[in-house]
Amino acid sequence: MARISIKNLFYRYKKSENWVLKGINFQPPEEGLTALIGDNGSGKTTLGKLMAGILKPFRGQVLIDDQATNELSLADIGQKLGYIFQEPERQIFAPTVEEELSFVLRYKGVAEPEIEVRLTEMLDRFDLRDLRRSFPFQLSQGEKQRLALAAILINQPEYLILDEPTTALDLKRKEELLDIIKGLLDRGIGITVISHDHKFAKKYASRLFTVAGGELVENKF
Amino acid sequence: MRINFDPRTKIVLVMSLTSLAVFVGDPYWLGGLLLVSLFLSYYFKTSLIKVLVKFKKFIGIIIGMIFIQSIFQPGGESLLSIQGIAIITSVGLYKGIAILLRMLIIIVSATILGTSNSRDIVQGLYQWKIPYELAFMVSVAIRFLPLLKEEAIDIYTAIQLRGLNIKELSFKNKVKVYSYLIMPLISGVINKAKELAISVEMRGFRASPNRTSYRCLKLKGSDYFVMTLSLVITAALFIIYINKITISL
Repeated sequence: MARISIKNLFYRYKKSENWVLKGINFQPPEEGLTALIGDNGSGKTTLGKLMAGILKPFRGQVLIDDQATNELSLADIGQKLGYIFQEPERQIFAPTVEEELSFVLRYKGVAEPEIEVRLTEMLDRFDLRDLRRSFPFQLSQGEKQRLALAAILINQPEYLILDEPTTALDLKRKEELLDIIKGLLDRGIGITVISHDHKFAKKYASRLFTVAGGELVENKF
Repeated sequence: MRINFDPRTKIVLVMSLTSLAVFVGDPYWLGGLLLVSLFLSYYFKTSLIKVLVKFKKFIGIIIGMIFIQSIFQPGGESLLSIQGIAIITSVGLYKGIAILLRMLIIIVSATILGTSNSRDIVQGLYQWKIPYELAFMVSVAIRFLPLLKEEAIDIYTAIQLRGLNIKELSFKNKVKVYSYLIMPLISGVINKAKELAISVEMRGFRASPNRTSYRCLKLKGSDYFVMTLSLVITAALFIIYINKITISL
C-alpha cells in the first residue's frame, strides 16, 4: 500500500506571487475513500498533482512511502500511484482499446500470457469487452473514463487519485463509477477523489477535506 | 526616442530579412543579416534571450545538421575523415554554417513580430485586404500554441505516470512511445477546432460580407519611410547578390 504524506507544503505557480497552498499538512488514509472538495480555483487539482508528483513543492515536502517526490521520477511514482486527469482524452494513446490497455505492460517486459490475463480481467471488469477493437477517441465520455481507469489499474497501482471523475457523467454513469470505486476499495486500494460535486463526495467518502484559501480543513460528518 | 511602429511595418521588416535569409547562401552575407536582425531585435526590445534559451534544447540538432550537410554535400578540402570517408569538408562546413545562420535570422527576426499583439497583427493584415478569415486563422494559431504546449506536457506526464521510464527505453521503442503521444495531441486539436468553429459561428462570424472594426491602424510617415527603405535595400541586395553569383560563374 502506498503511503502519501504531505508536510508543511507551500505551492505557487511560477508567474504568480499568490500562494495556492499554504502550509498544508496532510496524510490521506492508506485505505478507504478520501475526498478533497472545494470551489473552482481553490487548489484541489494542484494539491492532487502535488500528491502524484506531477508538480513539485515550492516549500515543504510530499513523501510517497517516505521518499520525497522531488527525488522520484514520474515512472517510479507511476509504479505505486495511478492518477486520472480531468479530461480522460489526455491519457488515451493507442489506436485500439486493447492496445491502450496492454502497450505499457509490453514495454515493461511483462510476459504475453500475463498481459492477456490482465487484459481480459480489465475488459470484463470495466464492461469494455465489446469495444476491444474500437478506436478509443470515438468512445462516449463514460466509456473513455472507464478505459482511462482500466488502463491505470492494469498496472496494479497501490493508490489512486481521481480528478473530477464525475464531471460529464449522468446519474447512471455515476452509479457505475461508484460500483467500480467500491470494488477497488474492497481490494484494499486507497483512493483520493478530487471533486466539486459535494453531494457525491459527502455521500461516499470516509474522510472529507475542504480546500479553501490555500488551506485544508477536515469536515466532520 | 523610440518610435511606436505599426505592426505592418514590422511584418515588412521581418519578410525582408527572412526572404533575404532564404535567398542568400553566402555565410558572410548571412552574418551581416544576422547582425541587422539582432540590432532590430534590440531596438524593438524583444524577448530574444528568453526565446534563445528555449531553443537551447535544439543545439544538438543544429550541430547535427551541420555534420549531415557536410556529409551529403561534400566538396573542397577534407577537414575530418574516418577511414577515407570525408566527414567534414570545407564546402560542407560552409553550407552547414549557412543553414545555422539562416535559422538564427528567422528566429531572431520572428521575435520582432512578438512585440505587437496578435489582434493588431490581424487588423493590420485585414487592412491590407488579406481576407479576415485567413488573418483570424493566423492569430488563432498563435493564440493556441501555448495551450498546445501545456497539453503536450500533460500527455507526456500521463504516459510516464503509467510507470513507463521513457529514458530507459531503446531508441526504437522511444520512437514508438513518442508516436503514441501524437494521437491524444491531434485529437485535442481537432476537438478544440470543432468547438471554436461552432463558437465563432454562433457569435456571427462571417454573418455579413463586410466587417467593420472599432480599432483601425493608421500608418505614419515613419512607417512609410521604414517600409520603403526596407524594400529598397532588400531589392538592392537581391540584385547585388545575383550579379555577384553571375560574375563568379
